[in-house]
Amino acid sequence: MPEFRTVLKTSDIPPGTLVAIDAAGGRISVANVDGAYYAFDDTCTHEQCSLADGDLAGTTVTCTCHGAQFDVRTGQVLAPPALVPVNVYRTRIEGDAVQIEV
Amino acid sequence: MAKTFVIVGASLAGATAAITLRDAGAAHKVILIGAEPDPPYERPPLSKSYLRGTSPFEKALVRPSAFYADHGIDAMFATRVTRIDPTSRLVETEDGRRIPFDALLVATGGRNRQVKIPGSHLDGIYSLRTREDADRIRAEMTPGRRVVVVGMGFIGSEVAASLRLNGLDVVAIDPSTTPLFRVLGDAVGRTITALHHGHGVRTIFEDAVTAFEGTERVSSLVTRRGQRVACDFVVLGIGIDPVVDLLDGSGVIVDNGVHVDQYCQTNVAGIFAAGDVANHYHPLFDRRMRVEHWSNAMKQAAVAARNMLGQRVAYDEVHWFWSDQYDANLQYAGFHTTWQRLVVRGSLETGNYLACYINDGRVDAVVGMNRAKDVRRMIAIIRSRRPVDLDQLQDESVDLRSLHRLVDEKRPAASPMS
Repeated sequence: MPEFRTVLKTSDIPPGTLVAIDAAGGRISVANVDGAYYAFDDTCTHEQCSLADGDLAGTTVTCTCHGAQFDVRTGQVLAPPALVPVNVYRTRIEGDAVQIEV
Repeated sequence: MAKTFVIVGASLAGATAAITLRDAGAAHKVILIGAEPDPPYERPPLSKSYLRGTSPFEKALVRPSAFYADHGIDAMFATRVTRIDPTSRLVETEDGRRIPFDALLVATGGRNRQVKIPGSHLDGIYSLRTREDADRIRAEMTPGRRVVVVGMGFIGSEVAASLRLNGLDVVAIDPSTTPLFRVLGDAVGRTITALHHGHGVRTIFEDAVTAFEGTERVSSLVTRRGQRVACDFVVLGIGIDPVVDLLDGSGVIVDNGVHVDQYCQTNVAGIFAAGDVANHYHPLFDRRMRVEHWSNAMKQAAVAARNMLGQRVAYDEVHWFWSDQYDANLQYAGFHTTWQRLVVRGSLETGNYLACYINDGRVDAVVGMNRAKDVRRMIAIIRSRRPVDLDQLQDESVDLRSLHRLVDEKRPAASPMS
């Protein structure tokens, strides 16, 4: 059963930044978009680069390796070379804890 | 009104245009014609993961094979177009078909240059452009075999790295002082030399092959300076020539590729070009250029398709490309041929740098090794075409995004003074 787990403190992720964490046997990236937190698989579906090493602008993360872009809210591909979306996870805030459903 | 769009070249550019045109309206007829037997695929893996056998061909397909039929794109693969008739507005194929068009996109790309020296007819000499080419090289890639890579441009450099990673004994030859010299210059080129030396490639610079030797199959080569190098096979990476034969007699201006304006249109109304074959006018740099990279193939083709639909969209993308060699990620953005100053952020010696090609205080282009984020952040600065503070550019403690803001602040106020 998926359940919400605390993975970070809100203070760990300043607005406009990304942090990668290990959870549920994989690497998950958490984005802070002006106080809204989004979680998604950290590995780019193109060539396995870390999306947390990428650039976050608004709700778009750009993989720095080859420029693929994803919507952090839905995981949808916004720009190739990636064709396959990244998985996304539900998040919630409990006090100062960032929780994701895994 | 529904139109017939014909795209010659079932490449990344051709497929992207077809998809863009199809998305624009179901009534349009979209015909995609390509000489290669495979559905459109991306070429970057051919010199890297596909060549090394670490990624299947299917992963390189622009879309799954069934996509074109499923989406009403009339795909004709293994079909070569031999002539374009702009008066009757039709294309002729090798097998004698005549296909009419309302608007035509030439996305024929390039073909590998050949060498004409003694022995160049021998077996065991390859070049790399297509999947078939890659498959032929793969069949030779047994660890321990000796290969000579002739030409250390991007393809040669990547092939040398892939062959080395797969355990082959690699010698690389180039007439310049370093790999990638023509684009990146000596100082940056030396970092690429160091990368290859670090992985055990032997290099021969400032020298050229004058003859291949062997009976039936190549067994050695001789250089201008008199070196003889024994080998089991050879890979040539000496560039491409644009495929333009089909335009002979069409009236379309061809000079180092097909001349197009910023709307991807040739001098003949209704005929467009995109990708490697297009010698395009770039409004940002106010000059013509022909660019042989993945991102251009995709982005220019999408813009060309929109112009074929009658939209007036200028193509002014800041060109960008990458090259993966061993574990190094090299990225380039912008356009330059010469430079007055080279400003380096980071260190060329350690292979972690952003090198900026400066003319008149402006950044025309950058190349980064393991600096992908910096390269991406420089695109806005290149696009601005405004001078930057070179000390700040060099200063690692200055965030490149703030440099961009500094550029903005120096812009004259938008409101006119009365």
